[in-house]
Amino acid sequence: MQAEDTADGDAKTLKLPGTRSDSAEPHPTSSPQSTKTKPPSRRRSLAGSALWESFRVAISSLRANKLRAGLTLIGIIVGVSAVIAVVTIIKGLDQTVASTFSSQGSTVFSISKRPQIITSREDFLRFNKRKDVTDEDWDAIARLCTSCWRTGLTANVPRETVKHGDQKSDEVTIQAITISMFDINAVNLDAGRYFSDSEYAAGREAAVVGPDILENLFGGAPPDSVIGKDVRIAGHAFEIIGVAEKKGKIFGFSRDNLIYIPYTSFERIYGARKSLVVFIQAASAEQLTEVQDQVRAIMRNRRGRTFRDTDDGFALETQDVFLDLYGKATSNIYIVTIGVAAISLVVGGIVVMNIMLVSVTERTREIGIRKAVGARQTDILRQFLIEAVTVTSIGGAIGVLTGFGLAYLISMAMGFPLLLSINSALLGVGVSSLVGIISGLWPAWRAARLHPIDALRAE
Amino acid sequence: MSDATLATSEETAALADVPLLVSESVPASLISMRDIWKTYQMGSEEVHALHGVSFEVQKGEYLAIIGPSGSGKSTLMNLIGCLDTPSKGEYWINGKNVSEMDDDELARIRNKEVGFVFQTFNLLARATSLHNVELPLIYSGMGSGERHEKAKQALASVDLTDRMMHKPNELSGGQRQRVAIARALVNHPSILLADEPTGALDTHTSTDIMNLFEKLHAEGNTIIVVTHEPDIAARAHRVISIRDGMIEKDDRLK
Repeated sequence: MQAEDTADGDAKTLKLPGTRSDSAEPHPTSSPQSTKTKPPSRRRSLAGSALWESFRVAISSLRANKLRAGLTLIGIIVGVSAVIAVVTIIKGLDQTVASTFSSQGSTVFSISKRPQIITSREDFLRFNKRKDVTDEDWDAIARLCTSCWRTGLTANVPRETVKHGDQKSDEVTIQAITISMFDINAVNLDAGRYFSDSEYAAGREAAVVGPDILENLFGGAPPDSVIGKDVRIAGHAFEIIGVAEKKGKIFGFSRDNLIYIPYTSFERIYGARKSLVVFIQAASAEQLTEVQDQVRAIMRNRRGRTFRDTDDGFALETQDVFLDLYGKATSNIYIVTIGVAAISLVVGGIVVMNIMLVSVTERTREIGIRKAVGARQTDILRQFLIEAVTVTSIGGAIGVLTGFGLAYLISMAMGFPLLLSINSALLGVGVSSLVGIISGLWPAWRAARLHPIDALRAE
Repeated sequence: MSDATLATSEETAALADVPLLVSESVPASLISMRDIWKTYQMGSEEVHALHGVSFEVQKGEYLAIIGPSGSGKSTLMNLIGCLDTPSKGEYWINGKNVSEMDDDELARIRNKEVGFVFQTFNLLARATSLHNVELPLIYSGMGSGERHEKAKQALASVDLTDRMMHKPNELSGGQRQRVAIARALVNHPSILLADEPTGALDTHTSTDIMNLFEKLHAEGNTIIVVTHEPDIAARAHRVISIRDGMIEKDDRLK
């Protein structure tokens, strides 16, 4: 009769007087399965409405404390806009530098005695022992390199003082070049012409001047008016036959304060004792490696190198070396700058945490009420987290806009392109939301852990 | 076997595999307190707020718990309302053993089984009456359409249909307490638990609120009022007097 006894006991249990409409479901205590299966369904349906409630509460509590919300927003806005402005400016600078150094294009490389960047004294001494690069090397390359498109020769003359009448200009870059270098360097003219073959062959004193020369020696005369006038370089009078287009400044250094003269006239005046630079251009970027290999082989042969020698005896470089150097030199500076800007974001996070702690203390009673009517710890935690994240992500969005605005002003003032990226905007909002979560977590946890009785008793 | 006929065959089948011990300990009453102790640690001293309180409340009762301040009646109210758990003893509400529950389970019981009415109303100051009444439904995960409907019904049942969009500071004390009562009833709890519900109200409004309680009782709600005022307690059908953490008297008036 065991079964009957059980049935009897159960029957007594079922004489529950307090059954309501919803207690028709299996008894939670007597049926462990139902207690296990019920909570998840509640949680799932809870997510939507409680989430919305949290968001609603967040907005209304921000509205109710406008000054406080404003101060919090400012904390985040300052941080995010600083980071965004710095990142945007850096991108603009990078773009400027990259486009400047690659004005020759990615198809040009050079052969020289020493690399353009030497990082140690030992290297300097070693490179100094190398043979000079001469016009004979250029001849050989021009003759033997079948895949080369253009080749040219440049002699770098120390900065000179140039004169016209009683006007003079210091620190002018003199580039003694072959005619082909105008093409390789993509030099366009505002007025006049390049050197003619006969001028070049004769080593005539002809000059193509940069626009700064007009400014400094001719009082800003228009390009056409200076053709046929003369400039004195190292005591020799050169006739101006062309004026180059303006290239602008980089980091405050003008790239227009220069004079191109024929290499032949340079050789006549200065003698052929200096090491030269040979420039080689491939027809396309795809052919660059092949051209480089061929030129390297020709030059190694001329320097008597076998495949066993590790050192070429000359430097083969593209303009990328400048970009690499720029990247190396500036990356640490960028990290530091962004780091400093990020500190203000951390400060913003601390402001948010502080305000949230005040908010939790102030709303202890509200937390008590919510707990009394059935809010769980996670409900309260979520409510305060959402509140923190709402403030910080609004602040983040405004900060992104402010940061772009700042970057715009700075790039206008300094004259480089403004590169607005969606990624940095998303990053700005994302990071500020993260700051919200991190700085809201502790206050929210404190709120969630409040005992309902204590919370209800609070004033 | 006569008792067994009370249970349908389905229910008998569902409960047949439940161990005898468990089913025997599940009380038949709506509320069952069995030897409840509540002890607070005050420094090195232990203070017993309740010493072994036991009583049962049936569905549909109108009960007042009365006692002077410091008698332990607030502690008892917190326990009945599942805001706290006893140090010792068993508390069952609607067949659920509350004494062993953790915070989140207690929150669920408060949400489903208990409707609170406080002396100071405890409404959310920045929310409308409607939103205040919706609050328990939000935490029970009800969708917004159904929630609005239920909250409106609850407000209508306390005659506040025209005050749904008012905030607490735009309402009189009596209206606020009626909003609180609507909030307490909206989730159809097992008990309506009122703590000094008229303590902050004038005599006239107090009478209104007590009449409302009587009406709600007549509609079948189980009501427990905690008070220190004898005339409020006198409206109830049963009065439990608490003194020094123990039940002094348990009188049935009606």
